[in-house]
Amino acid sequence: MLTLILFNLTNGIILGLFYVLMALGVSLILNLSNVINFAHGNFLALGGYFAFSLAPYLGYWGAFIVAPILIGVLGLIVEQTMIKRVYARPHVYSLLLTFGLSFIIQDMCRTIWGVNGLPLSIPNALNSPLSNQFFFLTGYRIFLVAVVIVAVAALFAFLGFTRVGTRIRAGTFDLDTVSALGINIGLLRALNFALGIGLAGLAGVLAGGQIGLNPNMGDNLVLPSFIAIIVGGIGSLTGTLVGGLVIGVASALTSVWWSAGSNVVMYILMVVILVARPRGIMGEEGMMT
Amino acid sequence: MTIALEAEGLNTFYGKSHILYDVGLKVKEGAITTLLGRNGAGKTTTLRSLVGLTPPRSGKITIFGKDTTHTPTYRITQNGVGYVPEGRKIFAHLTVEDNLRVPQERPGPWTIERVYQTFPRLAERKMNKGRQLSGGEQEMLSIARALLLNPQLLILDEPSQGLAPLIVKEVFRIVQQTKADGMSVLLVEQNVRASLEIADYAYVLDHGVMGWSGTAADLVKDEERIQALAGASAEEWSFDDTLSAAETEALAHQPHAVA
Ligand SMILES: Nc1ncnc2c1ncn2[C@@H]1O[C@H](COP(=O)(O)OP(=O)(O)O)[C@@H](O)[C@H]1O
Ligand SMILES: [Mg+2]
Repeated sequence: MLTLILFNLTNGIILGLFYVLMALGVSLILNLSNVINFAHGNFLALGGYFAFSLAPYLGYWGAFIVAPILIGVLGLIVEQTMIKRVYARPHVYSLLLTFGLSFIIQDMCRTIWGVNGLPLSIPNALNSPLSNQFFFLTGYRIFLVAVVIVAVAALFAFLGFTRVGTRIRAGTFDLDTVSALGINIGLLRALNFALGIGLAGLAGVLAGGQIGLNPNMGDNLVLPSFIAIIVGGIGSLTGTLVGGLVIGVASALTSVWWSAGSNVVMYILMVVILVARPRGIMGEEGMMT
Repeated sequence: MTIALEAEGLNTFYGKSHILYDVGLKVKEGAITTLLGRNGAGKTTTLRSLVGLTPPRSGKITIFGKDTTHTPTYRITQNGVGYVPEGRKIFAHLTVEDNLRVPQERPGPWTIERVYQTFPRLAERKMNKGRQLSGGEQEMLSIARALLLNPQLLILDEPSQGLAPLIVKEVFRIVQQTKADGMSVLLVEQNVRASLEIADYAYVLDHGVMGWSGTAADLVKDEERIQALAGASAEEWSFDDTLSAAETEALAHQPHAVA
């Protein structure tokens, strides 16, 4: 029983970390540009596929580094050619745009890489379980946790300590004033968008090694990452981090006793937290790290 | 005298509502020009038009000899225009230090270190959040933030709004100092008399139309116009030149409503 709980707890943390990576990216874009990116899960899938196609040339490690960066650059291009055109328009435009984009990317993946699942092979060194009793603690999972910790720490340090990061935080509160202080907010938004999309790309590379690749692989993560943002409190990235982990662990632990409940529990959690704290666990005006 | 900023025939709208009608004004280099007018006259809209935040639908704006009518805000401010917005617009969730790290600094005498030397109160509150500051401290921070761009033209929108009289004195003293440092100033104020005391030129905006322009000295003599402009708030008060150090110190510690 203890092993079963530990097994599910580990699964929950891993799942929660994917929610966190997704939700942080969605949150960055939502907070600075007021765009809810429905295509975020598709950029995740693209990240996995890019790594798959690059690995024969660059090896796993090369693909691991380059794929998320390319996805970030793709995000930059998408922002500059499409997303930025709807910033000044009512919300429904950006909703429809990213919704449409999500179908386009999904079909692109189907066309290029096929409808069937593909494996993203990982180095053998990462593959083996650390012990027989804790068969679920593979090297890869520990690697995955470490990568997410490093990525999240780097993101928080960037936002907290660099001038560009400070301007992004300021912009989530008042973009007009940021531009009146000499900052090119168009560029700031583009960089921020690229950063958020790059995180989805990284999540895709990591997910590919865990569950393999398919054109819909990001879809199941989109809604939970929205929930993570709401539970954590819109505007607070620390809240998003906590929210992602909480719902990941809660749904995995629920499945120990009630396997059908693993999804329902997220919504129940969301309702309970919103009733108790309408702004979420850590929400306040203006984005905080 | 050369012209730092010139606007001609500005027509500005918010959506369908026409706010400014053929507004024109000039800001002379090295002088303080004040733009007066009753609440809702369109002063803030004029300033927002000048810095590109609410671009005019027609008209022409020239700043330091360049046509900036269609220039994005960040380029206008990067070109040497400091803008201190109405209501100070401090980033309430950021620390004082982070607020000062937002502007794109341009080379010049103003650096973050100099800000801390000039406004010791901000140095003391470096790690406090913007929302924890008093109104006076927020105003200092907002001005300091704009000064970090090392502007040649400083535009201020009602810097004295909601501040206690002693702090207003301090703010006006700072504005006078920026002129002494060689900056051109465009000052929007409700505080008509105090503003005219430090200004060289004045404009009066009325329902989106520029109704009067001339020297501040001429406007001061026009008691009737001043009464009309400021109504009941145009009471007697004015101020003597500077604050004593003790006064400044007392002020700095006086808590004040946050805007
Ligand atoms: N964002 C806005 N949308 C619509 N109307 C506005 C907006 N801001 C100001 N106004 C209107 O424009 C007019 C001028 O406002 P403003 O420029 O703020 O005047 P002032 O600064 O002189 O008090 C007022 O009638 C005000 O109601
Ligand atoms: Mg105003």
